[in-house]
Amino acid sequence: MSDIIFELQDVHYAYPGKFPALCGVDMTIRSGEKIAIIGANGTGKSTLLQLLDGLIFPHHGQVTAFGELLRENSQVDEKAAHRFRRRVGLVFQNADIQLFCPSVREDIAFGPLQLGVAEEEVGRRILEVAQVLDIRHLLERVPHQLSIGEKRRVAIASVLAIDPDVYLFDEPTAGLDPLTVRHIIDFIVNANQRGKTIITATHDLHAIGEIADMVYVFGQNKRIIMGGTPDSILNDRSFLEMNNLVHIHRHHHDGREHVHQHLP
Amino acid sequence: MSNALNKKRDFIEPSILSALAFLKDATLSEEYANRKGFLQSLDPRLKTLSFLAFLVTAISLKSAVLIGTLYGFCFIFAILSRIPVRHFLVRTLLFIPLFSLFMVLPTLFSIVTPGEPVCSFHVLGLNGIITRPGLDGAVLFVVRIATSVSLVVLLSLTTRHSELLKVLRVLGVPQLFVLTISMCFRYLYLFATMVENIFTAIKSRVGVVSHHRHGQNVVAWNLANTWNRTTQMSEEVYMAMLSRGYTGEPRLLRVFHATLKDWVWLCCALIICAGLFYRGQIL
Repeated sequence: MSDIIFELQDVHYAYPGKFPALCGVDMTIRSGEKIAIIGANGTGKSTLLQLLDGLIFPHHGQVTAFGELLRENSQVDEKAAHRFRRRVGLVFQNADIQLFCPSVREDIAFGPLQLGVAEEEVGRRILEVAQVLDIRHLLERVPHQLSIGEKRRVAIASVLAIDPDVYLFDEPTAGLDPLTVRHIIDFIVNANQRGKTIITATHDLHAIGEIADMVYVFGQNKRIIMGGTPDSILNDRSFLEMNNLVHIHRHHHDGREHVHQHLP
Repeated sequence: MSNALNKKRDFIEPSILSALAFLKDATLSEEYANRKGFLQSLDPRLKTLSFLAFLVTAISLKSAVLIGTLYGFCFIFAILSRIPVRHFLVRTLLFIPLFSLFMVLPTLFSIVTPGEPVCSFHVLGLNGIITRPGLDGAVLFVVRIATSVSLVVLLSLTTRHSELLKVLRVLGVPQLFVLTISMCFRYLYLFATMVENIFTAIKSRVGVVSHHRHGQNVVAWNLANTWNRTTQMSEEVYMAMLSRGYTGEPRLLRVFHATLKDWVWLCCALIICAGLFYRGQIL
């Protein structure tokens, strides 16, 4: 049996009335892989994750998921849609979008309940994921009262409660304090060690050595312009600079100003 | 003089920000619901049922004294639930009962409600006679409004909004309706904060909006911008729902634990209502 989870062939996508978001993406993702998608803003990273999650569909080309063609009408059938949702979970970049229920507990429960998990089992899962992500004290809180870091952890918990085979993360560490970034990276690494497939869209070059075995770089032409191991990508500094992925960093050492490229 | 004029013109921003602050405080603040008090400790379902019974009693009774007794119970419950007396009185006695008093003012006079005169006066060549039935009717109306408002305020102050919404489900309201309302509450805060931030951003760039015409432009632009963001966000939220298995028929969590104390409370509430009805029939 093939271990290919996603296969993208010449995928094109454009938002209505806007410029194209993806222009001919080819990609193969296998079970248990840790993949990072990097690229400057507006290169199509979030669009790719939404395509992989079956939320939008290519205008040209095709996406195959678990051996089946991912099409809009395949998501209309509730059983087929649920089968897919049990296997793939997306953590959105903006946690406020993902946390739409009146309390944290209900937000975590939402996914499993929609997918037909029994209420007792849902209750058990809530406590389990709250333990893993250290958010037990937040369960009765209202999402709008939480800090950004807490919201992000609750958003991850809401997907973890579904226990999917594939996790899609959209900028999971953006705008967070160092400790929360550490927790999220540890979570991603642990999930992969448990056999989960991880696909992360990120700008955080410091993290990709840990959260990825394979890195795809998206360019301004909205397609993959390079793919390779984290080391091979990060060592090609002229390529990173050309694609707006590094910047000049100015800081002080022993009272002397020091300027260099900001890289891990 | 010019300062006074500027203050007069600079009413848009304070008005909007005050309205938003009131909205957040009135609908989203859970300060009192999170306190450890008597009503907060009760099961939201049975508490809501008991308050519904109190409301029906307040609406049905025809004696201002008995309805006033019910208000007295409300007051005691508020103290037991650690709600500051001043806050409770301001919210329950000041605005809505005051407006209702203005509404019933004409019914005090013999021209609207004929009957036994209580007092009469002469103003601007007009004779005004306040009648006994007019006075009784007005007092009954205002006391009924004050008590009903107190009951609703007390219930909403001592119950988290998420729990109140769950109670709607228990009362048979369709899940889709409850989910939609709960999402409205959820995003009300987000958009209120967004509008506040927009005003702060405007102030940081152009200073205080001091001319009403400029203010009108700012409000119009703000409305359009908020509308755009709302539309965009609603699409994204729908995607987030689909991503977690939503297919048009929401299934939501039901977690309630009624204890003996909750059932005792419900029985006491029903006994109070029955007692008031009984007294009402005798009177």
